[in-house]
Amino acid sequence: MTGIEFIKACSAIGAGLAMIAGIGPGIGQGFAAGKGAEAVGRQPEAQSDIVRTMLLGAAVAETTGIYGLIVALILLFANPFI
Amino acid sequence: MIDMTNVVDLVLEFLMQFDAKTLILAGSAIGAGLAMICGIGPGIGQGFAAGKGAEATGRNPKVMKDVISTMLLGAAVAETSGILALVVALILLFANPFVAMSASMWILSASAIACGLAMIAGIGPGIGQGFAAGKAAEGVGLRPELKGIVNRTMFLGQAVAQTTGIYALIIALILMYANPFVG
Repeated sequence: MTGIEFIKACSAIGAGLAMIAGIGPGIGQGFAAGKGAEAVGRQPEAQSDIVRTMLLGAAVAETTGIYGLIVALILLFANPFI
Repeated sequence: MIDMTNVVDLVLEFLMQFDAKTLILAGSAIGAGLAMICGIGPGIGQGFAAGKGAEATGRNPKVMKDVISTMLLGAAVAETSGILALVVALILLFANPFVAMSASMWILSASAIACGLAMIAGIGPGIGQGFAAGKAAEGVGLRPELKGIVNRTMFLGQAVAQTTGIYALIIALILMYANPFVG
């Protein structure tokens, strides 16, 4: 095994570890979707306002998942160590 | 029974075939990935805030603007630990301080992994601050006229919740720029 191969292997591990971050946005946005559905069920006439608030908050919750994805993609396709 | 000393010897022998820079960069790649695990926290917390915001909007659509502004303010604070972890990961990737250090390659590569491990602490502040943001959005939805005092209480609590994330950042920065094991 050459040094470059070892760095590539560890970069693959790092990319996988980075994606563990996806747990968070998944749980959080799921909670938001649940609360949104609950609110629409209670007040169907306010549906558009509720959905807008829910999507705005869920978009913010998505950011850390995207950060993890960016670091993983950098490790895979634009690896600065190789 | 597996003889553990044999396993350790085998691993060390395997790693020994690489030069110092290779081991440091490999450790940095793992460290960058570990740091991003921190993203779990803000994701859960901000999602909770979004849910509470949607609930409050549903209860009283007239206060939607106030609810959204409190929700977004709180979510922005909850984002900080995710950003700190991203900064540490990007430093490890693009401005790696370990490559230039002269010390045992074991210490340097272990320090690179440890930087990432330390930043995982950001999960806590992310969840906690997001919870505060959600409850504040709920409170503003019930009594929009108290928005100022509710926001202030939320920020105060979030500042305290941030402390452990800052401790983690300090340890990561010490490992990178003032490593006591080097020299």
